[in-house]
Amino acid sequence: MTSKRMVAPYVLILPSFVLAALIVIWPVAELAQIASHNVNRFGQLRDFAGMANFRALLDDPNFIASLWRTGIWTVCVVGGAIACAVPVALVLNEDFYGRDIARVIVMLPWAVSLTMTAIVWRWALSGESGMLNSALMGLGLIDENIQWLAEATTAFPMQILIGILVTIPFTVTIILGGLSSIPDDLYEAAALEGAGRWEQFRHITLPLIAPFLNIALVLNTIYVFNSFPIIWAMTQGGPANSTDILVTYLYKVGFRLGKLGEASAVSLVMFGILLIFTLIYVRITTTARGVRA
Amino acid sequence: MKKLHKNTFFSLKGLMLAGVGAIALSASADAGTVRVTVAEYSAKTGPYFEQVAKDFEAANPGIKIQFEVVPWDNLLQKLTTDISANANADLSIIGTRWLVDFVEQGIAEPLDNYLTPEIKGRFIETFLTPSVMNGKTYGLPIAASARAMYYNKELFEKAGLSEPPKTWAELEESAKKITALGNGLYGFGLQGKEVETDVYFYYGMWSFGGDIVNDGKSGLDSKAAIEAASLYKRLIDEGATQPGVTSYAREDVQNLFKQGKIGMMMTAPFLANQIRDEAPNLKYGVAPIPKGPNGDQGTYGVTDSVIMFQNSKNKDEAFKFLDFLFQPKQRIKFTIDEGFLPVTKAEAQDKYFAENPDLKVFTSLLPTARFAPVIAGWEEIADITTSALQRIYLGNGQIEPTLKEAASKANAILKK
Repeated sequence: MTSKRMVAPYVLILPSFVLAALIVIWPVAELAQIASHNVNRFGQLRDFAGMANFRALLDDPNFIASLWRTGIWTVCVVGGAIACAVPVALVLNEDFYGRDIARVIVMLPWAVSLTMTAIVWRWALSGESGMLNSALMGLGLIDENIQWLAEATTAFPMQILIGILVTIPFTVTIILGGLSSIPDDLYEAAALEGAGRWEQFRHITLPLIAPFLNIALVLNTIYVFNSFPIIWAMTQGGPANSTDILVTYLYKVGFRLGKLGEASAVSLVMFGILLIFTLIYVRITTTARGVRA
Repeated sequence: MKKLHKNTFFSLKGLMLAGVGAIALSASADAGTVRVTVAEYSAKTGPYFEQVAKDFEAANPGIKIQFEVVPWDNLLQKLTTDISANANADLSIIGTRWLVDFVEQGIAEPLDNYLTPEIKGRFIETFLTPSVMNGKTYGLPIAASARAMYYNKELFEKAGLSEPPKTWAELEESAKKITALGNGLYGFGLQGKEVETDVYFYYGMWSFGGDIVNDGKSGLDSKAAIEAASLYKRLIDEGATQPGVTSYAREDVQNLFKQGKIGMMMTAPFLANQIRDEAPNLKYGVAPIPKGPNGDQGTYGVTDSVIMFQNSKNKDEAFKFLDFLFQPKQRIKFTIDEGFLPVTKAEAQDKYFAENPDLKVFTSLLPTARFAPVIAGWEEIADITTSALQRIYLGNGQIEPTLKEAASKANAILKK
């Protein structure tokens, strides 16, 4: 009986393991093979090249710049999304007339494909016929059109803002889940003790939704880090590579310039970075369960 | 417990079997089925090819045609993945400028064994030549295009200009006058991002006597290139162009033109079709690309070709289909639908093309048409050039050093 108990868990996780191996390990092995060879533009392997593809990356200033920009992009979008999502979730958790409609409105951007959102924003930000410029002009905030997408100094912050906007619904969903798990009597007891709204938030709400915030943080980091459509549809990483992040850089190197070896090396680097985040995620979810138990 | 285990295992096995089945299916298309990958040029492309397949199958029982219509932007990516997985079609449309890679890697099949003199004779020389490499014909031109200057007659009239500029100096004057009209009107539409940003610059560079590649070296640091870049930068600084040029792809500039907001722009014949459908009241004309100080002039010629894959198992059937596709009836409909230039002589003689004044301007420019140079790594050089131009347009880089740096990068690629 005991030996059966020992074996059963492994047998039970075997299907998931096989599936994971097919979905994750096989492509990564394939990538490693391409990254360590000279490859023609159609992905056919030529001779072994060792680390040459990785060295070529390190010599490319655009790669280093994209790496840094990916960091800024991820931190700003994830941080901004969580900072906006917490108050939104708090409001949506209150009982008020029309709450269901408000929830639907907040969730709506989630239902629209990311590419469509990005393309609509590309039109809205167009310099001469864009909605944003005419709105700002109508409000008297600007005298002449701003060319939003012409330079990285205006384009990249706008892309971050749109990134935040589309990340909010998912984040709100997670936080709402956390909020609904907090029993009301905790607040009643705190109110009896004379705690104000802010103190209730700091000492009850925040600690109790902390595990949920952590999950939102890590999941969003993984999604945003890999997010391609917003930047691609709006600027294609331009002008002059000044809004490239790693995914758009990867796409250009791989499919526009046909250097599949270098592109595979970029994906491996990205995979490595995300692997670290995933490990953190596993840590967080396991400790989070510990806290609740 | 035992049952559950068995079921899980069974379904997994089933899943894998299904997967294997799918792979086997995709690899062995039936003999007699010709798979063709085509680019989606417009909403009319898919229905057109469907009709062609129907007509062909009716005339050739036993051969089936299967089309994969792919958006132009994804075409090269799709071909790359298909080829690396050995799952490519029998025929495909490609940008002729990619052909050199396909030939060097032995992926494209030479067509000379199939091409009878009659079929070869159908094509207009200028457009067939780019598909000929090392003396062998690897592709048949299916779409051809050149560039000319569109100008807005109403804006010209308002600015007191009687005719389109013949030289770049005149263009600068005219553009300034149109911008001076105010009201969000601008003289010269300048493209500053995405595909063909480099080409938009070559119009100027060619007019100053420059070339993209000279004796195996990049012409980006030539006197002509520097003069052209200085001219474009001056146009931007004087407000003769629309503001924020680096946020304008070709389609964006075309939209401004259709809205009647810019006086002039260079683009392909298909803009005329778009104006007909979307802005029928716009009064415009088509004129040659302006000349430089020494009378030099150049337009950009582009062809897309159909190639046959070397690993195709249905080469005879595939060529039979090509023969059908390049007959006048099919050709004329395609070229009119998509707004391209005729590639076969029979098309050119058709009334629609022979009597169209706009198209006449384009065809008259063909003797000065230059095609993308046949170099492996051309896309990378285009990318480097675009980046350098964007830095210049934005004022982030001095003209000469930026072009010199770009030229030395391009030279490194040319040496490979």
